[in-house]
Amino acid sequence: MEALKDKLESSFLVFENELNGHSKNYIHQVRQKAFKVFEEKGFPTKKDEEWKYTNLKPILKKDFRVFHHNENNVDFADVRKYFLSDVDSYKLVFVDGKFSSWLSETTHEKFDICTFGSMLEKYPEVADKYFNQALPQEEPMAAINTAFANEGAFIRIKKNQTVEKPVQLIFFTSSQDQEVMQQPRNLIILEENAEVKVVERHQSLSSHEVFTNSATEIFVEKHARLHYSKVQNDTKQASLVDNTSVKQYGHSMVNLGTFSFGGKLVRNNLNFFLEDERTETYMDGISLIGEGQLVDHHTLADHKMPNCYSNETYKGIYDGNAKGVFNGKVMVHCVAQKTNAFQQNNNILLTDKASIDTKPQLEIFADDVQCSHGCTIGQLDEDAMFYLQARGIPAKEAKALLLYAFANDSLRNIKIAELRKKLNKLIASKLGVDLDFEL
Amino acid sequence: MSSEEQLLEEVTGSEYKYGFYTDIEADKVPAGLNEEVIRIISAKKNEPQWMLDWRLDAFEKFQKMTEPDWANVTYAKPDLQAISFYSAPKQKKELASLDEVDPELLKTFTKLGISVDEQKRLSNVAMDVVVDSVSVATTFKKTLAEKGIIFCPISEAIQEHPELVKKYMGTVVPKTDNYYAALNSAVFTDGSFCYIPKGVRCPMELSTYFRINEAGTGQFERTLLIADKESYVSYLEGCTAPTRDENQLHAAVVELIAMDDAEIKYSTVQNWYPGDASGKGGVFNFVTKRGICEKNAKISWTQVETGSAVTWKYPSCILKGENSIGEFYSVAVTNNYQQADTGTKMIHLGKNTKSTIISKGICAGKSNGSYRGLVKIGPRAENARNFSQCDSLLMGSSCGSHTFPYIETQNKSAKVEHEATTSKIGEDQIFYCNQRGIGTEEAIALIVNGYCKDVLNQLPMEFAVEAQKLLAISLEGSVG
Amino acid sequence: MLKINDLHAGIEGNEILKGINLEIKPGEVHAIMGPNGSGKSTLSSVVAGREEYEVSKGAIDFEGEDLMDLDPEERAHKGIFLSFQYPIEIPGVTVTNFLKTAINETRKAKGEEPMPANIMLKKMREKMALLEMDKGFLSRSLNDGFSGGEKKRNEIFQMAMLEPKLAILDETDSGLDIDALRIVANGVNKLKSKDNAVLLITHYQRLLDYIVPDFVHVLYKGRIVKSGGKELALELEAKGYDWIKEEMAL
Repeated sequence: MEALKDKLESSFLVFENELNGHSKNYIHQVRQKAFKVFEEKGFPTKKDEEWKYTNLKPILKKDFRVFHHNENNVDFADVRKYFLSDVDSYKLVFVDGKFSSWLSETTHEKFDICTFGSMLEKYPEVADKYFNQALPQEEPMAAINTAFANEGAFIRIKKNQTVEKPVQLIFFTSSQDQEVMQQPRNLIILEENAEVKVVERHQSLSSHEVFTNSATEIFVEKHARLHYSKVQNDTKQASLVDNTSVKQYGHSMVNLGTFSFGGKLVRNNLNFFLEDERTETYMDGISLIGEGQLVDHHTLADHKMPNCYSNETYKGIYDGNAKGVFNGKVMVHCVAQKTNAFQQNNNILLTDKASIDTKPQLEIFADDVQCSHGCTIGQLDEDAMFYLQARGIPAKEAKALLLYAFANDSLRNIKIAELRKKLNKLIASKLGVDLDFEL
Repeated sequence: MSSEEQLLEEVTGSEYKYGFYTDIEADKVPAGLNEEVIRIISAKKNEPQWMLDWRLDAFEKFQKMTEPDWANVTYAKPDLQAISFYSAPKQKKELASLDEVDPELLKTFTKLGISVDEQKRLSNVAMDVVVDSVSVATTFKKTLAEKGIIFCPISEAIQEHPELVKKYMGTVVPKTDNYYAALNSAVFTDGSFCYIPKGVRCPMELSTYFRINEAGTGQFERTLLIADKESYVSYLEGCTAPTRDENQLHAAVVELIAMDDAEIKYSTVQNWYPGDASGKGGVFNFVTKRGICEKNAKISWTQVETGSAVTWKYPSCILKGENSIGEFYSVAVTNNYQQADTGTKMIHLGKNTKSTIISKGICAGKSNGSYRGLVKIGPRAENARNFSQCDSLLMGSSCGSHTFPYIETQNKSAKVEHEATTSKIGEDQIFYCNQRGIGTEEAIALIVNGYCKDVLNQLPMEFAVEAQKLLAISLEGSVG
Repeated sequence: MLKINDLHAGIEGNEILKGINLEIKPGEVHAIMGPNGSGKSTLSSVVAGREEYEVSKGAIDFEGEDLMDLDPEERAHKGIFLSFQYPIEIPGVTVTNFLKTAINETRKAKGEEPMPANIMLKKMREKMALLEMDKGFLSRSLNDGFSGGEKKRNEIFQMAMLEPKLAILDETDSGLDIDALRIVANGVNKLKSKDNAVLLITHYQRLLDYIVPDFVHVLYKGRIVKSGGKELALELEAKGYDWIKEEMAL
């Protein structure tokens, strides 16, 4: 852990040197400030309340390469399966932290769908206005990403524009010779009354361990609408810490799904800051994992203003010795009257060795609010099992069917039909259910 | 006055409809509480020695106890020395049938909207009526007797079925359970007793109506209901009291025993006088209700509470036997200066036990309503399940609603779910209904009944209608 | 059908509408656009009869009758429907029960018998299909836990069931994503006839791509400052409201 910290510290100096003329600008001051936060705090440990159940230590022991020098060519045919290919879409694809123009499809026409790097070049004023304005400043994992922020996706949808085609963000790691650490940085801005659909995925093609510390800042201006799906189905040698912070302004709507099936360790820090009235927020999530896997969802719905609605539904199915964590925090500030916040976390443990730590955390300082939370940990409904068995469905299939129904519900808000279908299939195959999805 | 305030006043400003006083001669013991009074009560009831000893033992223990103050209510503690602990309508002779009941008393029932006669004909309800402290009429006794069901005043049961009373009384709510339970054990004057024999499904709803009539009296009834193995009974209880300036005290004890595979459904519509709009008068309602479930048994409490100045009541279930089920469905309405601290306790001791709690609080005026619930899963209660839902509906901004859920789990296979919401009936909702063509009065009825639906659905048909009427009276009355 | 004459109205002593004149005839679709705070929602509230708003001057005439002394429910009975910008949640009251009450109260006011249950159900199914709504929707509590899009769809569903003469759609497009917007607009279009009229209130022109207005009015500082055909909306979208503000300042 200390070794990686030292390495990052020396890498930061190298990084600064390579910036040439840009090391004096505002953006770099923000990076330096963030780096100080990391230097002071170091990597989070189990002693931190927020990291009590998720231990990064075994992962951070690896000798990660922080910069990528080798250019690895990736053939589309090999990675095709990771794309949504039956729909016309914009694509931003990165391989080992570098933008891959031949796998991508960008635009600057009515809206900007390009790279974070080109945003820094082309629209420095955008970076000055938005960079690091949504992420919590004191969070060490977000801070270390900010310190090295240089490449990732940039999406800006101008006022009144609706992007009909979905946007796919894919981050591949292909290194064949060493463990790699990745730190993509994304910035997404929806101006007033704009609309877009985004799918994000991190995929290791490497035979070595991969550690991704990703950060995404999203600004959704008034009346804008964002649909965002995170597909997490990486290899069992890949770990991910995802820091996503969203600022929502009046009347905007965001619907963000986090679908976790794979990876060794996945930690999602998802924060929503509701900056003005009448916003609508949906957070859906599923963890469907097995032996040797850990998925941790930490969410925050920060109700700062009146009349906002948030709805959070997370489901989990844990097999083998899988470990799940859910920590859902809802803050309702005293001015945020008429807040309507809903939170639900339902879990099923398939074995005695699987475990889940779930903690709904409601902090309410206003008096006219509707807040409800519920969490369940349990086995399958025995009555339903019996019913299916009585209809001649064998126990194994009956169980799979019920689990499928339980999990599948979390896909209901996905707007891209092809993605929903794909995830449905993934759930079914993970559970060993054979279903006809064309119905 | 803003239109919101006007609306509130319209909605909440209704007078207590049942606040009349029946002028019947009463036989009343002088006020005060001491051993002598207990001996008089026991003697008047012609009780056997064991009963008197039981009472005196309770009284001795009671004297060492103090009134509890953990509930979220404030009130001037009742002066027990100013209360008469026995008041019976004077009767010239033993009553053989309803026809012989004092016609004044029958008129009271008519005013209450429960003509005993009619009720029994129309709804097939066997009824025991307790006015002040004495049980005055039990209908349908014969029909029930044919099935072996005993349904009679508890004073009669002490005489006729001492072995049952002796065996079960105080087993679910011990004499020393709490201050008011101890007081009740010492001074209870009457109440209902019911025994359903093994394998019998009680063919009709059993019902008790309680009424405090006489000034300066307290009502301390005691109900003991035993459902033997594989039996079923649905039991209804209603309460009213006349309008009085001083506070009247009601401290009852209800004990339910559901043996293996038995089911008891216990429904209450409580409408004790709540005090006037300025908070004067009203009944202090301090009640201990508890049931115990043996193997595969089920106890279901349903209550609609609109009355009393101060209520303190937690109908509970001890789920002792495996696969037993406890349910609690409650609507508690508070208005003006009423205070209610109600809820339930579900104690899971056996394997595979299940409990459901649905609590709906409605607060208006300057009232305060609290839900206090305990779900306890014992170390041996494998696979216990609980679902709790506690909702509050506020009308106006001077009332308060509080929720105190306690969950104690000692077994990790437990599945406990808790949901809670708070909402407000406001001008917005009413205007929305208006805009769709629904007038204000209709709108309030629609909203309140919709909100209470889950609980009202649990009541037997006849009672559900009465409960809906009561809700309407308590909340809307003069609207329109 | 609707004639608004020199209407001045406000809330808590602040005058928001400062002389509105508007006439809507059967079969017409009007759109009122304007920047925030121009008085769009005040206008719809005043026509629907919301009590907090005081009318200080002017008249609203609906089919030859003065609306001023009528309660909101009486206006509803006469055929005025307001699709709320923020539909209200009523927990415990199902969509079916609510609509049944609304329809039958309206019929009662007209001296008609309640609608037979089977006819009502048939009609509900038909209108739900029109708005691509799920069956389970009828037994859900009114707007309770609905997404923004579901609430707006529910408003249009109620409108379809109540068959108003004048439908006022207040910011019905806000909170709708593009797919939901198409469905809602399609529903409104199918319900249009030569006997009824629609008044659309919106901030953006997006909705007007799908429900094409006959007239567009620009509301600014409590007055209708410009009226025109549907091209006016496009012009507003392209140039923004500053253009109007500048023109007004001249």
